[in-house]
Amino acid sequence: MIKIGLIIDKYHLEKKVKEFLQYLKTVAEVSIYLEESLLLDFSRLNFNENIFFVKGKGELILNLVKLIENETSIPVINSSKAIRLCFDRFLNSVLLKKIGIEVPDFSVNPVGVSPPFNDYIIKNVIDQKNYTFTPKIQSKNGHLQISDERALNEVIGGKQNYQFFYYQRFIKSKWEYKVYSIGENFYFYKQLPVLINPDKIKSREEINPILELKEIVIKIKEILDLKITSVDFLKSKNGKFYVSDVNSTPNFNYIKNGPKIVGNFLIEQAKR
Amino acid sequence: MNNYYQNKGFSVKVYTQKNLSINDTLVENDFFILKTKKLQFLYAGYFLESKGIPVIPNTNISFKCKNRIEASFLLKNLSFNVPQILLGSYEALQKNLDKLSFPLISKPIMGSGSRGVKLINSFHDIKRDFNKIFYLEKFITGIHYLVYFINDRICVGEKIPLVNEHNSVKVIETPSDIRDIIFKWKKAYNLLFGHLDIVRETSSNKLYIVDPGSFPEFSNWKCEDEPISMICDLIIERYKNIKKNTKIQG
Repeated sequence: MIKIGLIIDKYHLEKKVKEFLQYLKTVAEVSIYLEESLLLDFSRLNFNENIFFVKGKGELILNLVKLIENETSIPVINSSKAIRLCFDRFLNSVLLKKIGIEVPDFSVNPVGVSPPFNDYIIKNVIDQKNYTFTPKIQSKNGHLQISDERALNEVIGGKQNYQFFYYQRFIKSKWEYKVYSIGENFYFYKQLPVLINPDKIKSREEINPILELKEIVIKIKEILDLKITSVDFLKSKNGKFYVSDVNSTPNFNYIKNGPKIVGNFLIEQAKR
Repeated sequence: MNNYYQNKGFSVKVYTQKNLSINDTLVENDFFILKTKKLQFLYAGYFLESKGIPVIPNTNISFKCKNRIEASFLLKNLSFNVPQILLGSYEALQKNLDKLSFPLISKPIMGSGSRGVKLINSFHDIKRDFNKIFYLEKFITGIHYLVYFINDRICVGEKIPLVNEHNSVKVIETPSDIRDIIFKWKKAYNLLFGHLDIVRETSSNKLYIVDPGSFPEFSNWKCEDEPISMICDLIIERYKNIKKNTKIQG
């Protein structure tokens, strides 16, 4: 039987993988590496898994993945490169822009220095924790200025000791488009943007595949080394799609048979 | 460095945390020197490199020297000895007390030098924090060396354990095994200068690398030759080589 190591945090274990684990245990031997209770000793490695699957992006998870990659040849989905580049908004924007993928204009500015565009969102630059977007919306001289509470907390009174904000130009979009990809499979949805309806799932609907978005996601997966992902897009007034978020630990429960599709994908990858 | 370059006729702009904005307005210099490894500056480095502007030392090596886990991989990949590393939550450490062999050293994962470094003699020295992942290293008992290198020059000082780079050191002749480590390190990652904190373990006489640095202050460079001019000249030479190679490739 294939041995699968699940590297996960408490939040994901309790809330996101019940069905997935139920299925996985019928087709594979599963060992769980829980971020909160694992003591990682870099000098004592003893892995006998055929593949690892990562649900989480915390510091210990990221470093366990790096360790497995550095010391063994066991495949890990997703890789440490993918995890880091997805939670670091600045780095993924730089990389995507470099290969010609449209991302909203962005700027890192010291506290007190305005960005070079008027309508913006201040986002948390490192999106590594499991908490949700809490927007503060202001209108100044007809311009929309939104800030994510997490971003403000990181700079003002947070532990991170950043002295800067990460600004992203605000793209007005009627819908937010979401493309999930598990291996070679793609699933397309649209929903109202969180700023309009915080309960995004309520407005989510499956849509027909959009070839343009599929091609962008393929490129993103390649450059960020992703095997499983979800990518969010906004569509501007002139019809251009902008990548607004890339996720290395998507919630595949929203896809019909998602847990089974992911499980089968892992088995297939382990057999390679 | 600023004075040295200006005296040589270069135009220098200094960016600090207060005036460093990272967007297309930054792309106005021929090259950048990355002197600090704070996140804001690493971002500037990655951004500039994505635009084809040289950054010296390169951003990735600066990031990897700053991230203690990445640094340990860089060192281990060259077969150097590194101290045992433990990583875990407060809860995990508490549950695995039998696996902890004190004294340990607690360090920030992202950091260099002695900032945030604390000697842990027992579990009670670990701050009760349930939101943190602790990085702990085995404390190596032995002689601690601060080893600087600039090009082929090496300057070694014996130092007191767990103090910062600026504390006084006793300059010694470079031991041959330390020289070998420095040359291997420098060559493998194409470094112009830097430093390694090395400990010679008393019980085994083995050398352990406990901290690498991509751009130290050189405040304890007590050897002959003046470090600033050597460093500045090396940076200019590296920039010229990068430009030459870019032209050839182009």
